[in-house]
Amino acid sequence: MNEMIDLTDLNMSEEELFSHVDNDSLAAEKITAPRYSYWHSVFRVFFRKKINIVILILLAIIVAFAYIYPIFSNYDRFAHVLVEGGKHLTPAKAIEMHPNDSVIHWILGSGGAGESTFDAIWVGSRLSLSLAFVCALINMVIGTIVGAVWGFSKKFDLIMQEVYNIIGNVPYILLISVIVMILSASFWSLVFALTVTGWLAIAYFIRTQVVIIRDREYNLASRCLGTSTLRIAMKNIMPFMVSVIVTLAATEIPSYISYEVFLSYIGLTMSDISLGKLIGTAQPSMFTPGMQLEFWAPVAIASIITIVLYVVGQNLGDASDPRTHM
Amino acid sequence: MTKYLLRRLLHGLISVIIVVAVVMLLIYSLTDREKIFGGDPLFSKKSSNVRETYKYEQWEKYGYIDYVTYNEYLVSLVKNGSITEEERAKAAEIAPLAETKDVNGKQVAELFSEKDSPEASKLIHQFVDYYQSKGYNVVRLNADYYSVRTKKLNNGGKQVMFTYKNVPLVTRLLKYFGGIFSVDNIHYVNEETDIGERKLTFTLHDPAYTDPKTGETPFSPAIIGNGTRHKYLVYTDSNFPYIHQNLLSINMGTSYSINKGVDVFETMTTTQGKYVKRLITYPTGLVEDSADDLHTATYSEGSHDLSETISDRFTDDYTNVSTLKASKSKIGFSFVIGIISVVLAYMLGVPLGILMAKQKDKLVDKLGTLYIIFIIAVPSLAYIFMFQAIGRSLGLPSIMDVNNESWKMYILPIVSLALPSVANLMKWLRRYMIDQMNSDYVRFARSGGLSEGEIFTKHILKNAAIPIIHGIPGSVLGALVGAIITERVYLVPGAGNLLTNAINANDNGVIVGLTLFYALLSIVSLILGDILMATVDPRISFTSKAR
Repeated sequence: MNEMIDLTDLNMSEEELFSHVDNDSLAAEKITAPRYSYWHSVFRVFFRKKINIVILILLAIIVAFAYIYPIFSNYDRFAHVLVEGGKHLTPAKAIEMHPNDSVIHWILGSGGAGESTFDAIWVGSRLSLSLAFVCALINMVIGTIVGAVWGFSKKFDLIMQEVYNIIGNVPYILLISVIVMILSASFWSLVFALTVTGWLAIAYFIRTQVVIIRDREYNLASRCLGTSTLRIAMKNIMPFMVSVIVTLAATEIPSYISYEVFLSYIGLTMSDISLGKLIGTAQPSMFTPGMQLEFWAPVAIASIITIVLYVVGQNLGDASDPRTHM
Repeated sequence: MTKYLLRRLLHGLISVIIVVAVVMLLIYSLTDREKIFGGDPLFSKKSSNVRETYKYEQWEKYGYIDYVTYNEYLVSLVKNGSITEEERAKAAEIAPLAETKDVNGKQVAELFSEKDSPEASKLIHQFVDYYQSKGYNVVRLNADYYSVRTKKLNNGGKQVMFTYKNVPLVTRLLKYFGGIFSVDNIHYVNEETDIGERKLTFTLHDPAYTDPKTGETPFSPAIIGNGTRHKYLVYTDSNFPYIHQNLLSINMGTSYSINKGVDVFETMTTTQGKYVKRLITYPTGLVEDSADDLHTATYSEGSHDLSETISDRFTDDYTNVSTLKASKSKIGFSFVIGIISVVLAYMLGVPLGILMAKQKDKLVDKLGTLYIIFIIAVPSLAYIFMFQAIGRSLGLPSIMDVNNESWKMYILPIVSLALPSVANLMKWLRRYMIDQMNSDYVRFARSGGLSEGEIFTKHILKNAAIPIIHGIPGSVLGALVGAIITERVYLVPGAGNLLTNAINANDNGVIVGLTLFYALLSIVSLILGDILMATVDPRISFTSKAR
């Protein structure tokens, strides 16, 4: 039983009580949805998981050790080669052997040339990480652009399918070793070897994704409305591809580190020290008592680096998928 | 369907040819051809001009160049009657020291010399003109004197003259593909060699099976040739497939350094390990405890009289026999390890993937994901070493020994190969099943009252398994190729390391042969995968009519 208010009790005039509201065409256009920013949402979703913060910190530590620590450690493989009895030492003995150095250098013992394993690992990591980042960047850029065109153009598709079939059957190791043989075993020749055909697999993957999204109904509608292909590619398809590309990059970057380790193992090394080369040269000490650290430490660091990179990339890839932003 | 598959096969074969061409271009044109002599003991023993000509002879043998020496040219002229044998003998004597000219700081002999005799000079001109008009390079090497005064030559330092031309890629390619299959025939042996009547004989009593004690031969049909490359063209034995043939042979590329003079296919398929010795009767009747396999006898001209050990055993020039060994071939090792690990991977990976999809976001799924991340992210070398270390601490043999086989030594390589494939299968099957779980037909089935178990096994699994089934022929045939890292770490004498070894040794014949082998396998496995997929899933059809 609602209490009825008698308007006459308020002692107000008619004009005071009611005013005329006009139709506001501007306000009618406004959409009352919550504000949405893509990248803001990506980071919100990414940091919602506590594990991601931990892993990101771990990644920061690794990158700092790989890129900043070697500046201070002044690593020289043969600096301690003349120290008598300084080779293949356990951490305790190595620290005892070099009382003037800070403990951190010898925390993992010494290697075959009396050098510090710990310092060697970070110098090697720097090179391996750089190789992975450079190769992934080049391959991802070329692969994405070529893949996008490949997905859109039917003529290009016919040619590229053949190229893909042929290049895919040329043994990868053969190609790399021939290039390394011709160009000497340096960092940039390895980059060239890994990128000269490496983009093709990425391009093929992107092409397949583009083909899937290209013919969806909303793109058909967009085309009917007269949108240009470039605009469809940039505005309709690109947002979908971001998460695909990030997820792909998450598997690509660690895979180059693995690849470098593998190539070093079969004898296709760079002349400078890398994680792969460290593992390859220390392999004989794998089961030798007292020398295992020389081998297992770089293996462990390589595994940690690749896992951290992979997990960060995967979770970032998940977060950049707009469907997770709800 | 058949028409479609034939077209695909043809298409595939064309790309195989292009792949081989690309690889040939890479290794014959872009790499340093001097490198093939790196591990050749014969090369390092030779010196001076003989070493130089040896290089050209080997390059000719392995398909780099066409090579003709001045003497060969003269002999061919005698054969076609343009000059007499006496003229040839005179013309063959070229002057030891021709005038030299300076080429890039090196003293190189001029092609024509004032010191040549008139007969020689005339034919040298003819030789040079003929081959230069055909685009050949002519090289004359002066005598390499130890002392000019006493005219004493350095070892192998006699003056020589020859001409060579690089073989163009197209010719090499045609020659390679033309020579892949060769049919043995009675005209194999040089027509001028007298080897008695050239014929094929069919016998019901193979002399290789002569009983060493009684001298009797059991019933064992065989076809024996004379004038052919192989002595035994068809023979029987107690090993699968019981009837063997040497009539048609496959030549995929002759090795230079890995297994000198032997074809890649043979390198991959011959047995290894300890010799299998048993009493055999040689053609002369000599009975001996030996590992020789008489059925592999091939012709080697003039070999019979080379040494007494040979002439005591053989009655003709078919003396080149290989030996029987106890263990598997390279491909055999790779395939046994590979196929068991494939079976193991499917047996573990498929149920685990299904379990992960069923228990999505529960503990099993999370543990599985952790394992998948580990396998994908960690360098494969690292986890294989880890498996090796764990296996070793459990007391398993961590390396293979061909001479001392036991089933235990297979465990670690098989596990190392299977565990990554398990992760891969789990990852994809889980993904496909979860994708299917959200599709409309599953909701429809559920609303129709089907139990969850029925939906899973009858609908979701059937659809999710199709892409997995597509990969089965690839993984089975892939087992033939072998695995590089696993085989290296565990010292498996398999086929996986053949390519890397060939690359390290610059063994071009092996590289080309293996490329062909790999490319064929990959094409065949793709086509087989499509066939299998179409048989399992009736919706998939390759003919436009059925659509």
